[in-house]
Amino acid sequence: MKIVACYKIVPEEQDLIIRPDRTLNWERAEWKIGQYDLCAVEAGMQLSETNGGSLTALSAGTKQLENSKLKKGILSRGPQDLFIIADDALDNADAFQTASTLAAAVNKIGDVDLVLCGEGSSDLYTQQVGVQLGELLGYPVINAVSKITVQDGKLLVERTLEDEVEVLQIPLPAVISVTTDINLPRIPSMKEILAAGKKPVTQWGLADLDLAGKGSATKIDSTLAPEQADRKRILFEGDSEEVIQKLYENLRKEL
Amino acid sequence: MAGMKNIWVFADKKDAILELCAGGRTLGDKVTALVIAPRTDAEQVIAGGADQVYWLGDKQDGKLIEDYFAAIFDLIQTQKPDVVLLGTTKRCKLMAGRLAARLGTSALMDVMEFSATDNGLQAKRMVYGGAAVRTESSAADLTIATVGPGVFEKLPEDSGRQGTIEDVAAAAGSAITCVEKRPKVGESVNLAAAKRVVAVGRGIANKEDLKMIEELAGLLGAEIGCSRPLAEGVDWLPRERYIGVSGVMFKPDLYIGIGISGQIQHMVGCNQAKTIVAINKDKAAPIFQQADYGIVGDLYKAIPALIEVLKK
Repeated sequence: MKIVACYKIVPEEQDLIIRPDRTLNWERAEWKIGQYDLCAVEAGMQLSETNGGSLTALSAGTKQLENSKLKKGILSRGPQDLFIIADDALDNADAFQTASTLAAAVNKIGDVDLVLCGEGSSDLYTQQVGVQLGELLGYPVINAVSKITVQDGKLLVERTLEDEVEVLQIPLPAVISVTTDINLPRIPSMKEILAAGKKPVTQWGLADLDLAGKGSATKIDSTLAPEQADRKRILFEGDSEEVIQKLYENLRKEL
Repeated sequence: MAGMKNIWVFADKKDAILELCAGGRTLGDKVTALVIAPRTDAEQVIAGGADQVYWLGDKQDGKLIEDYFAAIFDLIQTQKPDVVLLGTTKRCKLMAGRLAARLGTSALMDVMEFSATDNGLQAKRMVYGGAAVRTESSAADLTIATVGPGVFEKLPEDSGRQGTIEDVAAAAGSAITCVEKRPKVGESVNLAAAKRVVAVGRGIANKEDLKMIEELAGLLGAEIGCSRPLAEGVDWLPRERYIGVSGVMFKPDLYIGIGISGQIQHMVGCNQAKTIVAINKDKAAPIFQQADYGIVGDLYKAIPALIEVLKK
């Protein structure tokens, strides 16, 4: 089985600085692999280890993807090779543009049986790229998958919804988005990190893919830190019964 | 409203359809609901604000809502609504993404608020785990959006409302087969609907100490929420209780943050609360900057004391 796991690189949210005008400053932010995507990579590794086959990592994004630490970071988690579409025209790409780019790449890689995605990117979390990718490839697509096994050449998956769990049989090829409950991604060893530097990486630009008319339909008008509501900021020091009684009396007036 | 005429709504839960119908009334001239449920539900949806219902029949045995995708897509292709609003369940997110992909666009996800502009609908959503709010719009002819619970309030049921129910013979099917369905183990959580919320963070030392929090929440009639480390780091509470990422609109009358430092992502999640109370032993904790009332003290003394006061 030939498996592709998709990932996105995202800015480290701890490094975010909010300017006085509420705009966001990411200039000092480190980039990292989206945490939810690591579960997709791990799921791909476990499937290929159990059933045989190969795991390839794939990402589409800006030139930040070329960062060798990030490339090693993803390859050290097991994939045998990596494909990146690194193009600054993908800055602020919406789900459709990203999914279209990934779909073109999956077609160009060829003979892919299963594409795995995380449940959402840890920056924008629209939870849409996997779903759109499946539809664009014309494959069966399902989200919220918390367990995958292979049975008679088909997938048997558990899908965890808000109030029920479904067991679904899905023919291949297919696209699946997995939840964070599906596994605990492995921590790469020093040996795996060193070996990752020797694995093959293929880089494509948008021009290398068949993407006529597949732009972004979403217009971003602004991205601002929320305005804070005015708060009373009444502080009580200590945790004695008297203090709690005072808090309670204040609250009783409010509620 | 500028150019928005036909608003379609779809959700896999009746309450969500009713909320979206109410929302659709504020956004456009005509509201059409797609209903896959018993016919009485279709009638109720008219009473709840829809002008028209496309009734795709009651859900067929062994079929999934997902199996109606082609039928829904065909209706959209032929009828060309201006806006399609969907719920935010996993099923609705799958439906929204597949529709958008086929139409060559993207859906606006987890919308917290809409506003009308000359260029169509503008939508607000949280990004970066709640650190910011993005305002965006769709350049496509059809705007697809998913809208979370609580964004719109459903209208009182009015059985005198007039509307048409149109039967649509929908073939349901796909390559995916449902082998088994079972209820999810564990409780379901609806933070969006909670009037009072008690949220806990890393200041709680042991999982057993959550019993004390449960007692407090019980006395207040509050739901329990938590910050990210408790749901994703140590797994003490289910992810549904985690405040600050999912786009759930969360506007309780009272929010009590216990042992929570007040990282921006979390605070955005509870920003809409009417009254915010913080209990933390660290006076420098950012949560105090955004609280109406703060207790600088040991939660292991403050919470039992508060429980005693409430019991009186």
